[in-house]
Amino acid sequence: MAEPNLVQFRKGVLELCVLALLEHADAYGYEIANRLADAIDMGEGTIYPLMRRMQKEKVVVTYLVESPSGPPRKYYRLTEEGRQNLSRQKAAWTGFTRAVNAVLDAGQDGTS
Amino acid sequence: MNEKEDFMRRLATGLRGMPADTVSDILQDYEGHFDEGRKAGRSDADIARHLGDPARLARELRAEAGIRRWEDERSMAAALGAILGLLGLVALDVLIVAPVLIIVLVIVFCLALIALCTDLIGLIGLPLALLNILPLSDGTWLQNVLLSLGTLGAGISGSAFCALFLIGLTNLISRYARAHFRLISPGSPLSGGVSS
Repeated sequence: MAEPNLVQFRKGVLELCVLALLEHADAYGYEIANRLADAIDMGEGTIYPLMRRMQKEKVVVTYLVESPSGPPRKYYRLTEEGRQNLSRQKAAWTGFTRAVNAVLDAGQDGTS
Repeated sequence: MNEKEDFMRRLATGLRGMPADTVSDILQDYEGHFDEGRKAGRSDADIARHLGDPARLARELRAEAGIRRWEDERSMAAALGAILGLLGLVALDVLIVAPVLIIVLVIVFCLALIALCTDLIGLIGLPLALLNILPLSDGTWLQNVLLSLGTLGAGISGSAFCALFLIGLTNLISRYARAHFRLISPGSPLSGGVSS
């Protein structure tokens, strides 16, 4: 079982990952859940509440595409607002990780 | 029992009481997830295990819907809905906050009731005082009118205070809950435990 802090951390990053994933291509729920669950190790079911929230916040919109087999798939597409959100969050993330890395590296130098 | 049916049934149970079209929307999402997983050659048991605990998913979906309604509407019903939805989460996640929250809500409710009664007394007393037939008072006409006006004013400000407090409280808890929603870890409804 993951440490609580780590779980919190992953959760915060999840939205950023979804935005980044959708920037390159539209995707349907299973695709998103499958790719991100493997990458950041979390329950796949969490994607759907998150997608509903992002849809309500107008960060993504949905459309249906007929599937070769089975029922139509619900695809998610980034809106203009979603793209702006992504670049904002990306900048914040990059700045944050750079600062943390700088501190971690400094610590390493000090002990080694 | 089939794992997919079991998952869907528990999810549907958890979502009971939400608008019918929202529920069918949500169920469809997970229904589709099982379909895609089967196509990818996974077993229902494997898919269900990776989705996480359906009861918990339902709680998150409910709480989120409650907060959103509160942000859209700002009505008394929406505030109570948001608080009730959050209590569902809070009861599991933050065992320390839940009793405190319930006590605070009960106190606010009592204060609101007192303020409302004061309102009523002032409202009934004012016309009686104006007509100079106010019972239980031997003051002059002016004294009685001012007395009932004062009561009415106190009641109104009391109610307003309670409403403002409730609004502030709901906003605060909404923010707190969003920051503390826990991820559903596969197969373990209580993962993450209780944090401070």
